[in-house]
Amino acid sequence: MRWLGLPLAQLLPLAAGAAGAVVLLYVLKLRRRRVVVPYSILWQRVLRDRDASTWFSRLKRLLSLLLQLLLLALVFAALGDPRLTASWADGRSVVILVDASASMQATDVLPSRLAGAQVKLREMIAGLGANDRLLIAQMDASVTPLSPLSGDRAELERAAERLRATDTRADLRRALGFAADSLRGVERPEVVVLSDGALGDAAAAGEGLLEGVPVSWLRLGSEGSNVGLTGLSVRRYPLDKSRAEVRLQLDNAGAEPATVELSLYGDGRLIDVSTLELKPGERLPRYYQDLAGADRTLEAVARVTQGRDLLPADDRGYALVPERRRARVCVVTRGNTYLEAALLLDEYLDVTLVPPERYPVRGGFDVTLFDGVAPPVAEDAGAALYLALPAQGGPLRRGRRLEGFGFDSWDAKSPALRYLALGDVQVATGYSLRPEPGDRVLGASDQGPLLVGGRRDGRPFLALGFDPRDSDWVLRPAWPLFILNAIDSFGEDDASFLSSYPTGQPWYLPVPAPLERVSLLGPAGDEREVPVRGGHAVVFGEHAGFFTLRSAATTPPFESRFAANLAAPEESKILPPEALDLGRPLAPLPSFDAKARRELWHYLLLAAAVLSASEWLSYHRRLTV
Amino acid sequence: MGLLARLRPRRRARPAAHEDAGTLFDEAFLRKLESLALVSRKLHAGRQRAERRTRKAGSGVEFADHRDYVPGDDFRRIDWSVYQRFGRLLVRLHEEEEDLGIYFIVDCSSSMAFGGGAKFDQARRLVAALAYVGLANLDRVTVVAVRDGVAERMAPTRGKARIFRVLRFLSRLEARGSTDLGAALGAFAAQHRRKGLAVLVSDLYDPAGFERGINVLRYHRFEPYIVHLIDPAEERPALLGDVQVVDCETGDERAVTVTEALLGRLRDAQRGWRGEVAHFCASRHVPYFAAPTTQAFDELVLKVFRQGGFLR
Repeated sequence: MRWLGLPLAQLLPLAAGAAGAVVLLYVLKLRRRRVVVPYSILWQRVLRDRDASTWFSRLKRLLSLLLQLLLLALVFAALGDPRLTASWADGRSVVILVDASASMQATDVLPSRLAGAQVKLREMIAGLGANDRLLIAQMDASVTPLSPLSGDRAELERAAERLRATDTRADLRRALGFAADSLRGVERPEVVVLSDGALGDAAAAGEGLLEGVPVSWLRLGSEGSNVGLTGLSVRRYPLDKSRAEVRLQLDNAGAEPATVELSLYGDGRLIDVSTLELKPGERLPRYYQDLAGADRTLEAVARVTQGRDLLPADDRGYALVPERRRARVCVVTRGNTYLEAALLLDEYLDVTLVPPERYPVRGGFDVTLFDGVAPPVAEDAGAALYLALPAQGGPLRRGRRLEGFGFDSWDAKSPALRYLALGDVQVATGYSLRPEPGDRVLGASDQGPLLVGGRRDGRPFLALGFDPRDSDWVLRPAWPLFILNAIDSFGEDDASFLSSYPTGQPWYLPVPAPLERVSLLGPAGDEREVPVRGGHAVVFGEHAGFFTLRSAATTPPFESRFAANLAAPEESKILPPEALDLGRPLAPLPSFDAKARRELWHYLLLAAAVLSASEWLSYHRRLTV
Repeated sequence: MGLLARLRPRRRARPAAHEDAGTLFDEAFLRKLESLALVSRKLHAGRQRAERRTRKAGSGVEFADHRDYVPGDDFRRIDWSVYQRFGRLLVRLHEEEEDLGIYFIVDCSSSMAFGGGAKFDQARRLVAALAYVGLANLDRVTVVAVRDGVAERMAPTRGKARIFRVLRFLSRLEARGSTDLGAALGAFAAQHRRKGLAVLVSDLYDPAGFERGINVLRYHRFEPYIVHLIDPAEERPALLGDVQVVDCETGDERAVTVTEALLGRLRDAQRGWRGEVAHFCASRHVPYFAAPTTQAFDELVLKVFRQGGFLR
């Protein structure tokens, strides 16, 4: 016999105390109500026979006490949850991985595949053998155990209730790894995957995991008609930030052609509707150029007007339009026509020209351009761009003098140098630069670094080793683009701006330095606290939509919005495969059809209930009193 | 105004006899009462001329018997028709009509007041009605209250105008104390030498047994009538569970767990005991009348008592 409930060390004192209390109650003399009768002789006549059986009455009273004690013993034994040792070894330990990825929201199983999985799960729980134990885990981009390895049906039912679909892809390998860890060292391990089979490369996922452990698959869903919005991004034009360019992508994963009405909402208002025809299996990218009307948010909605669309989760896309803000730029120069001309190209720059002898000036600038000078940088100077870095005062040292050189290499991925072709720039004279540890060389000739980026005292900077006017760069389109890119790279309108984050991975969202926790307001209106690590709020993205990070701990209060998208073409392919290829044969589904549980506590409680009913009946029928 | 209200003591001036008689009972009931008379199976010697026959040969009109003529007899009483037929001188004897002594013995023990006093009220109503019948027939009516002895006694009285005296006496009575019918009726018999009807109105809850009291009346040559007051509510008391039963007269206590079955047995015991009383009375030719409190007292008087031969 094994006891799985309350430990005996707790059970026995509790039982002894309760038994003592019952005995004490029986020993206490009953306080009777006084009732006046007109003629007690008649009562004496009636009770004469009972007097003759007083000893029997006492015996019955004793029987009543014994009955109560037996009742207590049964209840406490049930609390101990006894199991027969012989049958204990027969139990299976099953990890059930329930796919809660976006494709499980498909409606070919009503109301959804995930709801169908919950029904199957409840059937399994209902048919669970007395010694079987289940662990229910939600499988999406992460693995979330919803219950311990338990045979408690109520607990498992509650776990099944907690299953929620997410807008992510399922990570089967991670889930199988979790199952392998959970089943290590237990008897008769098994794994059941409840999924529609949209699990990517399942063979690779199962490689090297759960060797010798039967893994079975319960297929959910049967159809694949679906049109999904599998990509959405937006950016502002660098030179006309009132307009934006949108790229989106539609996938018809079904076997039938579909007509899709595509609507774009800017800041919640409908700004464009178009109708698209998609052939079976077609992927259709679409660009919206010069899109006006979206200042902050952009939402795309695909609605199938002809054909079937079984997965609503991929019919919407969300993007945040980069914030359009006038950058305050301070130019410390003795006069540079080319530089001033380049700055005139962006109407969203608020430029202040300052001669070197009047620097510093107060103004709270985002960027300060030092043209051939390097005075001490003011506190509110923002980022710094040095042109023709002087020998003294700059963030880094000048190297040797160079003549007749050009850019032999440059970092095209750098935000400052995007769209630029610098290979044919010719420079008459200049200096190489000596970057310090942590600095990045963005452009260099074969004779040394020419353009270096880095950070000094928390302030980003770019430094150019030559005067652009000593080159033909200023005559090329690359010159104003470089200036504007550099300013953009310092500001928030930088090239690293993400119009939306992909779900199913951690999001690192920049927040002001002093904050340690911020609130995250989800698309459904739910709000929760998220931690901040290294200046970034860390959130695991599970749902698509618009989110808001906010905190009242700063002045003014911090608030930042961002968008998240499923954007996973694989999840839009919802037709379940005929077989799940795990790289090895799948085991047949284990049977969950136990007719009766061999848990003894049910019977103990039943016996206690029967005894209690008997006691109640006998008491009120005055059989035992 | 109900009879019970009439039984309450009043301080107002005593009304005229015919007026009170008219308001005590309703007119129809009074007329019915006046047409009734208590039946005595025996002939008791009276002291005053009245409407009751006696064994004494007297001046009454009812023929009783013949006897041989002896010198000194009134010639007018010789039955000449008998002499003509048989040649013997026989004197006609007539029954003397005298008054009847009627004693109403009211049980005033605590048990009579049990259950709200329904039995005690019923007893006083019945005694009042029966006393009116006796008074209307010019019988000598005496009311005696007993407990474990004679508690109170109303002096003998005649004539229906005296009904108010009876009512005042009854209204003063209180139900308290314990019952000892043997001792009480023994004392009653010792105090009343003149025999007559002895109407015992009681619930007969005597811890020493009801038999002794009735036997005392019989042995002292009274003609006992038993009016047994019964409260049906006592058959099935509204109690269940563990109780301490206390006798209202003796104070005896007993721990009882009352169940439905026990209540059933109590009801059976009650009925069995009443059967014993009835059997005892019948076997000794003592008229017995059960008087439930749930039965209207006028119905008892006009119907039950007449059918039982108590009234004619």
